[in-house]
Amino acid sequence: MQRMSALPVRTTLVFLACVALAGCDSPSRTTPVAAAATPAATLTTRDFTGVWIAIGTFDDPAGPPPWSQTLWPSNPPFTEWGAAESRRLSEPQGFTPCSPTGPVFAMWELGLFPIQILESPGQLVIIRETGGMPRRIYTDGREHPPPEELEPTWMGHSIGRWQGDVFVVDTVGTNGRARAMNGVGANVQVSVDDAKPRLPTSAELHLVERWRLVADGQLFEDELTISDPKTYTEPIIVKHYFQRRPDIDMLEFSCADTPRPADETIAEQ
Amino acid sequence: MKATTIFLLAAFTAAAPAAAHHSFAPFDRSKEVTLTGAVKEFQWTNPHAWIQIMVKDDQGRETEWDIECAPANMMARTGWNKSTIKPGDAVVATVNPMRDGRSSGALVTITLPDGTVLGPGDAPKPLPIR
Repeated sequence: MQRMSALPVRTTLVFLACVALAGCDSPSRTTPVAAAATPAATLTTRDFTGVWIAIGTFDDPAGPPPWSQTLWPSNPPFTEWGAAESRRLSEPQGFTPCSPTGPVFAMWELGLFPIQILESPGQLVIIRETGGMPRRIYTDGREHPPPEELEPTWMGHSIGRWQGDVFVVDTVGTNGRARAMNGVGANVQVSVDDAKPRLPTSAELHLVERWRLVADGQLFEDELTISDPKTYTEPIIVKHYFQRRPDIDMLEFSCADTPRPADETIAEQ
Repeated sequence: MKATTIFLLAAFTAAAPAAAHHSFAPFDRSKEVTLTGAVKEFQWTNPHAWIQIMVKDDQGRETEWDIECAPANMMARTGWNKSTIKPGDAVVATVNPMRDGRSSGALVTITLPDGTVLGPGDAPKPLPIR
């Protein structure tokens, strides 16, 4: 964490400078500045700042090996409550247009929309193009609040620590109201992987992620261990891969620009 | 023009496996309707863009069709902008119609006055991994 707290200051400055220069995601631009105080080997494996989009397509949601996304389970290890909640989320009335997603969906976004990661002293922030809440991961060494003080939120409370070249993110405190982890809407099928049960999460969600840069920093791998004893009898573990996209600018997205009745839309965001 | 134009609306194109994109959603993926008419309005919006097209039948009666597209952000990354179509433009649109018979559909392709064919919007294509 000491390394982490020193590095982002420079990363942030680089980011701000790059904003002015239009284009900040190339490792070749960020490395020389930050390398002044940090070993280059550490930097190239730890710089998550930039715009990213999950790889995979609708017809090939896993994407090509060796960086294939783990597809969602066809037979999730549901508890009785989890199975019932999955059925509820599969009905049109179980879906509220423009309702927020949770932290698992945020680390995927179906490959349709980019995310932007900004590292700053003490916290790493994930901005999602589809709007809603940013995901904020504290890196200042704090712990989660005690359960009696933990405010339930859509994205939960996240803390991150480095273990070697792996950034480990621990999230608790979600409110259990987010949409399914694997779909934007009730019955919406946006990929060949979508004809599967909707995967709910409850307020008992405990998400542990292991982030690491792979493919020379072109991709980052997020291994998500999704534990939710109210919903699943055992953890679900998936790997998602994001590709660094310096060619993509984040755009504004307001979910309420075209309000339509839910029954007239396929998948309101 | 992209070989496959697929998005939330799950457009059927020659390269897209038809069986992959079905849902209980209100549009019938198994049907396509071709609409020839003049653009009345274009709402360049998220979470989805919409186009209204006035279509004349054999007797000259006009019907307004309400057509759903992808999120404007996804369209912007696949060749669209707010000025791509304008009121009065003569267009040919192929849509998956609504199941309930209303004059509404999900865009599959649209042919612009200059012959350009666009899909409903798509995710950015992945970059090659070096």
